[in-house]
Amino acid sequence: MNDIKFFSKQWAESVRDALVAGPSEQAKAGKLQEYWDFFDFVKSIYPASWALGCRDLPADLGDAPSYLAVEWAGGTVADCRIVGPDDPLEATFVLGMDYADWKALHEGYDAQRTVMYRKILLEDGNLLEFFKAIYFFAECLAVIGDVPAEYPAHAAV
Amino acid sequence: MTERKSPTAVLHEGPRALTEEQVREIEESELEAVLNVDIDDVIEYVHKDLKSLPDFITLYRKYLKQRWDVYELDFSQDKIDWQEKMTEAERQSFMAIASGFHHGERQVEIELPVFMIGASEEEKLHIAAQIEDEARHTVFFDRFYREVVGLEGDDIMDILDASFPWVSETFVGPFGLLAYQADEVRRNPYDERARVRYGTNYFLWIEGVLALSVMKVTLSYARWRGFLPAYYTGFTATCRDESRHVQGGMRYLQDAVRKDHTMINEIHDTLRTILAVSGVASREIIYEPLGWTEAEVRMLFVQQLRRKLNDVGIDMAPDIEEMLQQVQPVLAGG
Repeated sequence: MNDIKFFSKQWAESVRDALVAGPSEQAKAGKLQEYWDFFDFVKSIYPASWALGCRDLPADLGDAPSYLAVEWAGGTVADCRIVGPDDPLEATFVLGMDYADWKALHEGYDAQRTVMYRKILLEDGNLLEFFKAIYFFAECLAVIGDVPAEYPAHAAV
Repeated sequence: MTERKSPTAVLHEGPRALTEEQVREIEESELEAVLNVDIDDVIEYVHKDLKSLPDFITLYRKYLKQRWDVYELDFSQDKIDWQEKMTEAERQSFMAIASGFHHGERQVEIELPVFMIGASEEEKLHIAAQIEDEARHTVFFDRFYREVVGLEGDDIMDILDASFPWVSETFVGPFGLLAYQADEVRRNPYDERARVRYGTNYFLWIEGVLALSVMKVTLSYARWRGFLPAYYTGFTATCRDESRHVQGGMRYLQDAVRKDHTMINEIHDTLRTILAVSGVASREIIYEPLGWTEAEVRMLFVQQLRRKLNDVGIDMAPDIEEMLQQVQPVLAGG
């Protein structure tokens, strides 16, 4: 059992560390270096921020909808924190996903298919601009999903 | 299948002129006879009417005559070819390409219904037919993967799950964008600018460029080697279906630009995003076992895009021309 709860302050800190470190060697294996060079290039210049929401965050984890706010600047994560439903929400791209899909991502569901099957959706922001960095986003989503945390199976909503 | 021309011969020959007899053969062949139709003729046929695009009722009437029964195909010879005649290198290359279609057909099937809401009544008929086509193409690949490749599963998603490891990470570029564009159209079905952006990705890029290019790779291989007759028949019939889809899509885009010339900005902006993520590959695909090189596939992409835009009278912006030179093949289609 992991002590860090999904969508807690500690989890957001772990997400920040994981995003700064980037994809694991295991994740990198099997993909071409040019793909990772493109990932690194996008990361080095990415000027945007994401608010990744959990639309139905279980009540024992927080209030819904809450967001993981990730701000990128200077090739690294400038800020990474949880934003509750009553806090001001400012992000270049606001996305939303259901708790069950966050949990599935953590349990290994593919990040690319999480996007393609519209489990995570863009709720606010310029769609064409967002997709110019889609490989960067999808790989970061996989990194976020891998961060150890407790995801209650039958949490109260 | 008597012709044994090299898969890439037509690339260097340039556009071919179709005789009336060839057009009749493409348009009127029953499923069984599609085996004898040359895939290069079908791809040329896609472009035949682009300069004077058919209306949606004409396309719907063609659909009624050309639809085929995916359950009539007999894959028994294909299974023998796959297991006993094709080399491991050929099978791996084939899987890397076909899996993009397996998933692509599913994506274009499920993302199309929302586009119907804001369409004219005549176009609604054409879109309804196209949705049925795409569902049939999804079943075609499901059968191919079960009966020829030997993947196992209880339902369609099980087979999709089983072939997904062959799909490149870059697939999420055009197909993830399509999913999100479909959601944008779902929220605002009468937003003509959102519809044009959606149509640019779906009809021009995914169907007009990716699908028609990549279809040609596996089909010309099958024709060249005389292998996989049911695959050749079903996928060539699929290509004939795609000709209606591309013509309908180009008709939609052409009409939109004629009504409001600023719509060309939506087409250009969409192409800029697509091309921005098309300059990188995540996996090394070995085309040579199928008779192709990466440079030839890229040339095919560029040819397909230029011909579509030229034929429907849409100019390419200079920066898009420049981006086009960097395009890497994305092995997918729908």
